[in-house]
Amino acid sequence: MNCEGQLMTQAPPQKSNPGLFKRNPPIAGEAEAIEAAKNGDAEAFSRLYALHKRRVYTLCLRMLGNVSEAEDMTQEAFLHLFRKISSFRGESAFSTWLHRLTVNLVLMNLRKKGLSLVSLEETINPSEEDAPKRDFGSRDPVLTGAVDRVALERAVASLPPGYRMVFVLHDVEGFEHNEIAAMLDCSTGNSKSQLHKARLKLRELLRQTEPAPESAVSTEAAK
Amino acid sequence: MTEPGDIDFDNMKPEEFEHYLPDLFANGDGKVSRDPRLQKFLRENPDCAALVRDLETIAETARSLFEPVGDPSDKVWKNIQTKLREEAANPSASEDDEEEDEVKEID
Repeated sequence: MNCEGQLMTQAPPQKSNPGLFKRNPPIAGEAEAIEAAKNGDAEAFSRLYALHKRRVYTLCLRMLGNVSEAEDMTQEAFLHLFRKISSFRGESAFSTWLHRLTVNLVLMNLRKKGLSLVSLEETINPSEEDAPKRDFGSRDPVLTGAVDRVALERAVASLPPGYRMVFVLHDVEGFEHNEIAAMLDCSTGNSKSQLHKARLKLRELLRQTEPAPESAVSTEAAK
Repeated sequence: MTEPGDIDFDNMKPEEFEHYLPDLFANGDGKVSRDPRLQKFLRENPDCAALVRDLETIAETARSLFEPVGDPSDKVWKNIQTKLREEAANPSASEDDEEEDEVKEID
């Protein structure tokens, strides 16, 4: 599966994604800043950076799981934005467009880095060792209640890269499976399957971090 | 996936259920636990019901992660400004970065 060079040029999915618009409402003053930045206004570009840096950085951090790399990609994303902002036509929310640009850059970067080390197939499909363990017939450990956001954040960071990518794109960023499939150059079925495995792996990780139930022995000892 | 009409939801085995689960999550509204076709099966298979409940909880909590958690360090903006100044002084310097550059908009 070689998709080097395809990321930025492939046709976008035709299906609309109201979820992304709902989560990316227009920001006051943003439209003016975009128009001014298109005309080379440095101050306007600085405003756009201030408005979107946190979200872009957070997206990079979640996809890469590493502060230093996330900062590098944030830098690249905004440099790319500055060079390409004239191609933004306002047909989608600016933040949606910027997110897509960032995701594409991160994926391209991962592929460039990984070409000599690991094939894309392995990047998308983690090894069996990393796969969630399923044992039918035995009782699964079950989460005891609501999942703490911080615990989930930690668990996501420790996911194998391929699982983390699909989970962040779908469950956090709100991309549809057909969009993820286009971005990762895999099938929609593969995206669904990887998301499912990612959630199973997260369940496993979260269960491990939950405090152990108080045993009869420890209760007795406490007395 | 087997067409939904072909699946005997009431009498499938847990491993069959898990085989269908990625599609059940993807094709519905993400609330597999509310799917009327699965109510009998989930009642009779509490482990599967617990699995569905956990995966739904994880997916719901994931939405809260959309909100940003922190800022990049100040050096990121400084580096951007430096790079932009360099590019303004030497426009051909950024040409190498101009490949694969089109970002399509989603309507």
